[in-house]
Parts: sequence; C-alpha cells; structure tokens
Amino acid sequence: MKGTFSWKWAVLALSIAALMSVGCAKKQTVKSEGAAGGPGPAAVGEAPMKEAPPAPPLEEKLASAAEAGVAATEERPSQFDDVRFDFDQSVVTEDGRRASAVVAAYLKKNPGAKVLIEGHCDERGTAEYNLALGDRRATAVMTYLVSLGVSKGAVSTVSFGKEKPLDPGSNEEAWAKNRRAHFVLQ
Amino acid sequence: MKRSIGAAAGAFLLALSVFPSPGFPLLYIDINAPGGKRMPIAVADVVVGPGDPSLSRGIPKILSDDLVLTDLFDLVPPTAHMETVTAAHFSGKPLSFPGWKMIGAEAVVIGKAEAQGGRLSIEMRLYDATQGTLLLGKRYTGTPGQLRSIVHRFANEIVYTFTGVRGVFGTEIAFSARSGKSKGKELYIVGMDGQGLRKVTDNRSYNLFPRWSPDGQWLAYTSYRTGAPNVYLRNVLTGTEKAVVQFGGSKAPGGFSPDGAWLYSGVSRAGNSDIFRVRVVGGAAEKVVVGWGLEVSPSPSPDGRRIAFVSDRGGSPQVYVKTIGVAGETRISTGTGYATSPSWSPAGDRIAYTARSGGRFIVATVAPDGSGLREVASAPDGDCEDPSFSPDGRSLVYTYRKKGYSALKIISTDGRRQRTLVSGLGGAGSPAWSPGR
Repeated sequence: MKGTFSWKWAVLALSIAALMSVGCAKKQTVKSEGAAGGPGPAAVGEAPMKEAPPAPPLEEKLASAAEAGVAATEERPSQFDDVRFDFDQSVVTEDGRRASAVVAAYLKKNPGAKVLIEGHCDERGTAEYNLALGDRRATAVMTYLVSLGVSKGAVSTVSFGKEKPLDPGSNEEAWAKNRRAHFVLQ
Repeated sequence: MKRSIGAAAGAFLLALSVFPSPGFPLLYIDINAPGGKRMPIAVADVVVGPGDPSLSRGIPKILSDDLVLTDLFDLVPPTAHMETVTAAHFSGKPLSFPGWKMIGAEAVVIGKAEAQGGRLSIEMRLYDATQGTLLLGKRYTGTPGQLRSIVHRFANEIVYTFTGVRGVFGTEIAFSARSGKSKGKELYIVGMDGQGLRKVTDNRSYNLFPRWSPDGQWLAYTSYRTGAPNVYLRNVLTGTEKAVVQFGGSKAPGGFSPDGAWLYSGVSRAGNSDIFRVRVVGGAAEKVVVGWGLEVSPSPSPDGRRIAFVSDRGGSPQVYVKTIGVAGETRISTGTGYATSPSWSPAGDRIAYTARSGGRFIVATVAPDGSGLREVASAPDGDCEDPSFSPDGRSLVYTYRKKGYSALKIISTDGRRQRTLVSGLGGAGSPAWSPGR
C-alpha cells in the first residue's frame, strides 16, 4: 500500500492542506477530523473492526440532517400517551382512540402546532415487514385524528419498525409497550 | 480513506494459469450426495524465496481452513507429511507420489511464494496423487495485503476442479448491527470465513437492510440519517453514495435485477407498502406489486423474470411468487401463520424464508412452486431469521436471536453443518451474502 503511490499522496495531502488553509477555521477542524476518522474500506480488507472516535469537533460541523439521524435513535419525550396495538395489528382500539382524542383536542386548541406520529413494533418478526407495519400503525392513528377534525397539515408519520423499542425486554409486557404509536410535538 | 482506495486500485491482482487447464479430473466430488465421502488432501509447507518465512505455514493454514469449511475435504495433518517440498519441485523434479498416497492423500497441494519490494508472488499447484498428474497450476501477483484474497482464489479453483462449482472464499456478508454504545445501527461487512470485520457506515442513526448489487460493488440500504427512512446506494470501495427511491415514506430495498439496472424495493405510501422497481440510473419507478395489503421484501429470481415477496393480503404475512409484468401471484408458504424475508437461491431452484413455527421463528426452504418444504435452521432457545444464500447455493447465512443476544450463523442448505460467523455485536440482523468473487 505504501509503495509507489506515497509521493502522489504526499503531494495530494499537501494540496488539500493548502486548500484548507484558505477556508475558515471551523471547516479546517472538521476536514482533518474526517481524514483521521479511521481506515477506509480497502479492496482486500483486513482491517480489524475499529470504533470511530466520538470526534466532538465533527459533531459541531455535522449538517442538521445528520443530527436528525442521531436524534431519531433517542426516545423523544411526549406529553401524550402512546396508542398501543395488538400483535401484527394496526387497528386503533378503544384505548387508542381515547389517547388519540387527547391529541386531537390539543391540536384543535393550538392551531399551528404540529405532531409527528411514530409507528413502532415489537422485536418479533422480520425487520422489513415491521417497518411497513409501523407505517400502517402511524397512518391508522393519523387517519383517526383527521377524522376527528384535525387538519392534515398538522400531522405527519414516520415508522421505526422494530428498531426503537421503548422497553428492551423480551417478554409479553415489553412487547405490548413496544407495539405503539408515539406522539412527538414538533 | 482516499489513500487506501488509490493504493488498492494500483495494486490490482494478477492471476495466470501456469499450465493449460486440465481436462475433466479423474477425482471428483459429488456435492449433491449428502454425507458423501470427503477427498483426502495434503497441503505441503510452501517454499518461501525472499520474503517472510512465516508464509511457509501461513499460506497452507489459510488454504486448509478454507478447504475444511467446504466439508468436502479431509486434510492430511502436516505432521504426517514425509516429503519436504523444495524449489526444485517447481522446475521439473517430480514429487514422490507413492509417499503422499501412503499417508492417505489423494490430492497434494504445493506452493512457492516470494515477497519483495511490496510485491507478493505465489505459485500454487494441485496434483492428483494417484495418477501423479497436475490438475491445476496458478501464479498470482499482488501486494502482501492481498495474501488472503490470493489464497481464497486458489481455494475456489480447487473446489471448482473437484466439483464443477466455484467456491465462495473471498465472498463477504453485509449486515446491520449496533455499534458500541450508540443506539443506532451501522452497516458492517465481514468475510465468509469470519475475517476482516469492518464498519461501513458511521452516522449513528439506523442503517438497515444492506443488499448487494450483482457486481458486488454497491450496497443498497435504508438509512435514517436525515431522520426519516430513505434508500441509498453506497459504493463499498470508495464510499460514494447517492439516494435512490425518491418517493414514499418507509422504504426497504429487497434486491437488484440480475443486470443491476433495477432496484426492487418495498415503499410505503399513505401507510400502505407496495413493491416498486426503480432505475438505479435516472430513478424512474415502476409498480411491480400493488394492493391493499402490506407488500414488502422483494427478492428477484436469478433470471430476473420473477420475484418472491411478502404480502399480508390473506390476513397474515405470507410469501408469494410473481412473474414480473404478468398478472397473478402464487402463495408458496404453507403451514405457518407468519412467513417473511424470502431469498431466492442462485440456481433458482429454492426460496429460503423465515417461518413462525411453534412460537419460534425458523428458516425453511421451498421450491418456487411451493413444493418440497424443508426446515433448515431452528433453535430450541431462540429465533432463526433472515436467510440469504451463498453464491454457490450450498449455504445460508441467517440471524440467530435469543434474549439479549444476536449472532449471524452459516448453515449448509441440508442443515447438517453450522457455524457462527459473527457474535458479540448487538442487534445483528439482515445479513446479505455478496455475489461470487
């Protein structure tokens, strides 16, 4: 790897360094962090698994979209109760309709407020199927809210499938908590 | 990152046939005979010219480990070897074949290696010990970093010589798992022999469902990096990425068409998932399966004419097969209330899927017409899910999960041999076996 190419790379590294010195200080920090962020995938990869360093300066530079990606993995607090579902079901039950009605009342009282409905599943079954099932659950709740007079523009949905359990346990109680639609005020 | 790409491109690997390829070998292994006789083979210490002396045992070790994994060979232990192979054996001096026969070897592998100035050169030969004939001879040139890759290639040639089916050494498995303390999941790649585990993505969001392009250069996958699930194509060598499937809510790629032009994907619109195919270049989308049910997990057949997919139109998720562009879909999963994640075998004769059985998930295979259901992998204490075929069709990689533990396992399609590929990473899942290398 180091053989004949080292000169060219040295030159390239120098030119990148030269280019960076033109940019602002913030950018410079980030670029060098990125370059040091661990080995790239080589064609004949033998690199041992390496956790990338947490890289606090990188976090500052990350676009808001990327921050949204990390934030998506955190449980977002809600003033509303979750709507729960039966296994492999997306029917909004009696309890679910009561929980949804509270959200509907809030949204009608607070024009301009927006709520994101997250659809979740328990850990059992295939991830892809659960992704679609989570979407159907979130949409079922959204449809119910709209039927209660909530404006379509005030609600949106996202599915997390089985990726984001509220309770990490592997038992009926945990699964029941995890089959849910979760309301996040935006 | 850029440095290693350039270096890798510059150090491409050369392989030359040392001798014209032999005719049909007299030694032959029938891979379809279950529990058939294994071929006794001896891998002699490699003659090292200039270079690291540890290659002498190192190369035979890699090769022997490969051959053992196939379950087609019995390795004659090096301690039993009587003849010392020398450079002279590569320039006309014959091996003492009766001696190799005496210790039980029906085939003998010898090799010669040189490593100098960043270049690695390896010559490998395979002999029929009974006939004393050369079955296979190859000379490889590359970098020292390509050692394993070179030996894997020769192992594939040996398997091909005896079975007519190319081996799968050097192929890789992509999957999704948690990274350290992050709640997100990253994509990983690992060699089929469990070596070379590496992280592919690093955005600390959810990165899911990796699917290989037919040329093995790209992974299609779903990422939540923007907060919502979108499908991206990532070049595994360069890290270049682009978004595909530019519509709908949740999206999960299922697989590519054999020519690599289309990506089949489940896409949710208004809470209802259907199956689309999207042009990898240009992004034009076509409906493939639409209906009021959830349709997900499209797996194209190797000839590209059909897909297997999951639909819950009948009240529970089941596996169906459809000829693309033709009306009508046939359910092929039976006897279970939950059948998902189909994967078509490379020969086109079987479809593997996840089935719920007695409260557990198991891996089963079935013919594309729904006949010949066979249970392949199950565990009394956990779930076996998400099968993906090896390029030679002889094995399946799948996810094993039990309380707080997950692993990837590889099992022969007859269910007889099984090994753990990866363990110790949380939430490992969605393994996808790369195409042949």
